Amino acid sequence: MRQIIRLFSDYLSQYFKTRLAYRADFVGDFLSNLVSELINLVFIVVVFQHVSLLKDWSRDEIIFIYGYFLIPFALFSMFFGFWDFNERYIIRGEMDRILTRPVHNLAQVCLESMAPDRIFGVITGLLIMGYAAIRLHLSFAWYDIPLFILLVISSTLVYAGVYTGIAAISFFSDSRTGISPMIYNIQNYGRYPVDVYNKAIRITLTWILPFAFVGTYPAAYFLRKEMWYTYTMLTPVIGVVFFAIGLSVWNWGVKKYQGAGS
Amino acid sequence: MIKVSQLQKVFRIHQARSGLAGAFRDLFNRQYKTVKAVDGVSFQVEEGEFFALIGENGAGKSTTIKMMTGILTPTDGEITINGFVPYKQREDYVKSIGVVFGQRSQLWWDLSPTESFRLLQRVYKVEGEDGKRWLDRLVEELDIGGFIHQPVRKLSLGQRMRCEIAASLIHKPKLLFLDEPTVGLDVLVKQKIREFLRNLNESERTTILLTTHDVSDIEALCKRVIVMDQGKLIFDGMLSDLKEKWGNGTEIAFQFKQRIPVAELRGLLGEYPCELFAENEYAVRVKLQRSREMLPLVLSSVMASYEVSDVKVMESSTEDIVRNIYSVDSEVAVNG
Repeated sequence: MRQIIRLFSDYLSQYFKTRLAYRADFVGDFLSNLVSELINLVFIVVVFQHVSLLKDWSRDEIIFIYGYFLIPFALFSMFFGFWDFNERYIIRGEMDRILTRPVHNLAQVCLESMAPDRIFGVITGLLIMGYAAIRLHLSFAWYDIPLFILLVISSTLVYAGVYTGIAAISFFSDSRTGISPMIYNIQNYGRYPVDVYNKAIRITLTWILPFAFVGTYPAAYFLRKEMWYTYTMLTPVIGVVFFAIGLSVWNWGVKKYQGAGS
Repeated sequence: MIKVSQLQKVFRIHQARSGLAGAFRDLFNRQYKTVKAVDGVSFQVEEGEFFALIGENGAGKSTTIKMMTGILTPTDGEITINGFVPYKQREDYVKSIGVVFGQRSQLWWDLSPTESFRLLQRVYKVEGEDGKRWLDRLVEELDIGGFIHQPVRKLSLGQRMRCEIAASLIHKPKLLFLDEPTVGLDVLVKQKIREFLRNLNESERTTILLTTHDVSDIEALCKRVIVMDQGKLIFDGMLSDLKEKWGNGTEIAFQFKQRIPVAELRGLLGEYPCELFAENEYAVRVKLQRSREMLPLVLSSVMASYEVSDVKVMESSTEDIVRNIYSVDSEVAVNG
């Protein structure tokens, strides 16, 4: 694990080194990221102008949840950016190379497809949460900060676990799978209060594809919605459990891996 | 050091039906074909050997190598290398091997080789003084110092290949796998790489396994050859034995100063098993089956009796041998 963290910093510095090699590119990317996040921000505020109340959630509360959701999502897409896993590692056979190196293969795949510029999503999320918090006159205690970090990490693990498990399907099937767009759509549900959906979707989002734990449930704690506290406290458990499931599906898949030709 | 016994790998391949209707039927009822890519292969390799694994495309070489490197899990059979079972203890095992897949790069495309080497030193935990000294030696011996600061994508194939080999050796492995390392390289680069590998094998006693389609690689480097066909091992032995077994024998072409009737020569070589062909009145070709013992006898007795103006000895090249093996096997395949 220590080695992986050290490798992470190495990869990160290499990433910036290559990015800085193309100076104009780097500045351009930086600006375009900033602009796109700003547009995102304005868009969210404008859209939610027209929503005043969903069930018993006020508009600002919904914005707060949305802001929270952006943070684990950004962290997830920063470290688990292998959207092209099937194409790049299975079909083109890069997995062979990964498997001949003495570091856990999932860690290597994550490191190689890391996208540090997603960090902007974290900033946007924090801004949105701040905006909503001011309008809601929320107050925070000092221990809310470590709790917030813990919850964000847990939510990220939920994403990571589900995604890893799904990416691992590529090990079993030799065809291109179109499952990730579907999951991408389902995870969208997590960013709105889950009790606006019907019971079936709510159960799915809580226990099967637990995307409610990347938005509503943890955010509810900071909104002081006591009826959801149990779920908030469950977030780290769900995070660890789902990541463990995802990882074991992955490890099992590596055993079944058949490799590309040649 | 390497022990492979009764190794087997079976792939289950989905047979797609043709057409849209077929694709629809595939949804409900899939047909599979099992293919034995590797079928009961056993061999042993001692430390410090330099050996080649050859065979046609699809003979099962790559699958064997992938099982030996721990990438694939065997369906059946056992592999023990450096005291590890590759697919079970993969992360520990791969620290003791180096792998070069000629078709696939292990360097980071956007980084310079130096940066890649540094990352790899981290991956293999060899950043210390020893690791540095070893890398310096690799850089010097492979003669890559001139371009390791350029991004990999700007290097020529020959330059990149030498960097790949350096990268695969960064942790000083005991065993090196080379899967078609000289594909598409020019003669000079090939020669450089061969010299380096021979030197590595001699000075560090690194065991090297080579798969290739380039016969000159084998001739230049390997004493031992393993031939695979259709998943089975069909030959395991010395290159010279391979020549004996599959070669066309040796031919000697004599050019005489005076006219020699073939019958007279036949009489002289009476007891030796050989065939004679008269090219013209002054020139005769002698074809020997078992070359090594026969060659000096035939040469000396002919030269002692006649005045010879020119002699040419033509051994069947490894290339001919490989062609023989491949073509014979495809006949076997038709019969079987």
